[in-house]
Amino acid sequence: MRASRALGLVPILVLLLAWQWAASAGLYAAVLLPPPLAVAQVFLDEPAQLAYHMMASLTRVAIGVGWAFVIAVPLGLLIGRYHWLDMLTDWSIQMFRSFPPISLIPLALLFFGIGDKPAVVLIFISAFWPLIINTIFGVRSVERTLLRVAKSSRAGEWLIFTDIMLPASLPAIFTGLRLAIGAGWLTVVTAEMIAVRSGLGYMILNAQMTFRSDLIIAGILVIGVVGLAADQGVRALRGYLCRWQEGLTASPE
Amino acid sequence: MSAAETLDLGVTRGGDARFLQCATLSKTFDTRTGIVEALRKIELDVPLGEFVCFLGASGCGKSTLLSIIGGLETPSAGQVLLNGKAIVKPSPDLSFVFQDHGLFPWMTVEQNCAFSLKASGMGRAARLAKAREYLALVGLQGFGTRFPHELSGGMKQRVGIARALTTDPKLLLMDEPFGALDAQTRANLQQELLRIWSGRQATVLFVTHSIDEALILADRIVVFHPRPGRIRADVRVALPRPRDIHAPEFGAMARELEALLQTPT
Repeated sequence: MRASRALGLVPILVLLLAWQWAASAGLYAAVLLPPPLAVAQVFLDEPAQLAYHMMASLTRVAIGVGWAFVIAVPLGLLIGRYHWLDMLTDWSIQMFRSFPPISLIPLALLFFGIGDKPAVVLIFISAFWPLIINTIFGVRSVERTLLRVAKSSRAGEWLIFTDIMLPASLPAIFTGLRLAIGAGWLTVVTAEMIAVRSGLGYMILNAQMTFRSDLIIAGILVIGVVGLAADQGVRALRGYLCRWQEGLTASPE
Repeated sequence: MSAAETLDLGVTRGGDARFLQCATLSKTFDTRTGIVEALRKIELDVPLGEFVCFLGASGCGKSTLLSIIGGLETPSAGQVLLNGKAIVKPSPDLSFVFQDHGLFPWMTVEQNCAFSLKASGMGRAARLAKAREYLALVGLQGFGTRFPHELSGGMKQRVGIARALTTDPKLLLMDEPFGALDAQTRANLQQELLRIWSGRQATVLFVTHSIDEALILADRIVVFHPRPGRIRADVRVALPRPRDIHAPEFGAMARELEALLQTPT
């Protein structure tokens, strides 16, 4: 029997119960660990504030990941196709992708000052590597026969990219996109704690200074839910665009 | 020349004997374990309209020869002439059918079939219309909007054949196209291929390691020996079509070919 999607709610409910129990047992002072209902109250009392900061974070991620996508995917297609480009870039990619985005924050602040720019640049950087690496991997996985078909059909390079390389790499590109959004979403919160005066990261840090644990937890919940929603959205899009894959790949029992 | 006549005669049809020429063609590969001589001094002339099978065991260079004729690989020495002109890259006059059908899984059957036409620059409406016409020819009308994974192996290869025919090639290169199919599907497709071929003025080069398949299909069978890949024999099949694999003449030729395949040069 195929397990229901609702099964995914079980760990979340268990966590909620444990939280409720910890709060009512008085393990920590209520000001440090407010009960779930108190946090729910934040969503009712301050929806405008939460929405404002959420949109600020979302916008930064969208811009950063968007730029990373339009640059990393074409570049990845080229690197995957041309061996000399791979030789040229491989070491650099492997080295630069090892830098934790947080370690780049000081430099980003020096270069771009306080504001949206350093945050977006950092998101761009953290989203760039999973996208380009997965795109290159996708191109590599194109079946050799299909390239022979293209060559014998006398397809031009442009047609090979648009009709073969890109669609063949699409499943891998979507994997890259999921990782990129995840990395960008992690980075935005960190960057917002330092560089800007809006966004969920800023809101959470600000709430810490005013002892608003309820607001901190509410912010963290929004981060988690938005992350889940973004991932589900990308998966749905992948399911549609890569529907030709059905029956070609293994599905879990 | 009518289709019926061709089927009855089953022998060389008229045409320019110098349609396809391979002249002292050699091919060596550099591999990790040293230099491999894939083909040694291949001499082969094929007239227009002939159905030729390349018969041999794995590693005898027959597929490599097909790739060179198709312009997908370059020879180490010698050259291929098509209508007197040297082939250095894929020519618009020829098409390939590959063993593992080579369909693009992300394209519908129709789009797959129209791909060669798209590559040649034909407009969308025209190429899809032509693709449908050829899909009907191979018995796949109504399957145009399916994806390849929804088709059986035999149907996929029908699409591969339809795609190869859309550009109206003078030379059809088939690299063990039915190798992965079950016996019944294989027999059906062999007859389909003969029907399609007899209706057009085209040369077919068909690679196989099955003696029966070669005898069912070919006007002429070129037998290859491995290490280095070279031509062992060039046998004309004068049996009338459709060929009966239970006929004594068929059996006699099969035994003759088997002996040719096995005896050392």
